Amino acid sequence: MSDDLRFRQEDLGDSVKLSLSGEVDIYTSQELKENLYNIVDANKTDLIIDCRELNYIDSTGLGIFVGALKKAKEHDKKMVITGLKDNIKKLFIITGLDKVFTIE
Amino acid sequence: MGTECDRIEITLPFKADYVSLARLAVSGICSRMGFDIETIEDIKVAISEVCSKIVSVGSETAHGYTIVYDVAESVLNVKYFCDDPSIKCIFSAERDGLAIHIINALMDRVELCNEANYIVSMSKTLEVVK
Repeated sequence: MSDDLRFRQEDLGDSVKLSLSGEVDIYTSQELKENLYNIVDANKTDLIIDCRELNYIDSTGLGIFVGALKKAKEHDKKMVITGLKDNIKKLFIITGLDKVFTIE
Repeated sequence: MGTECDRIEITLPFKADYVSLARLAVSGICSRMGFDIETIEDIKVAISEVCSKIVSVGSETAHGYTIVYDVAESVLNVKYFCDDPSIKCIFSAERDGLAIHIINALMDRVELCNEANYIVSMSKTLEVVK
């Protein structure tokens, strides 16, 4: 029923890029959590989350991003979010998470 | 649309699978009302946040919850109902801070806790550009 959430992972050498496309809501959030946390735990490099094709995210998804950022910091790694659409960037601003994440 | 209020109701099971259906419905309604795309996206997020919370709480007695969209000429009123009286005041500031913040910021009027027979009520007014 939900627009699927799709993942594409690329190794860029000094970082890993995870491209998200589709929607993150209560239906797809568990999948995001598993993928994102696994990548943070498995890689010793920085993480770039490419959101150019992400159409929707809710507070569940934002919470997972926060959890992944905490994990990344524990491993002394950076996490950067790129390509946010205006409607999603607005949610980061509303919640103050634009000050927490590095958004490019 | 006329001056009378049109009522659209949708009943969904307590399953995450169908939350997107609530977004789809409100998207169509808001589009008919004349909201711009950015505002429609905002309303979809607010509607969905409440659905997600209701689904996460769930119920052992009720089969689902009902969203009632009341469409006036320039105002969309949305109320959530459920037969299970234990589903009341479901948002906790401590646990659901992000969701509460988002809903309050995106809608014009929000009632997350009340003594009435509904769970949550909120509304959005269509701004006319002069």
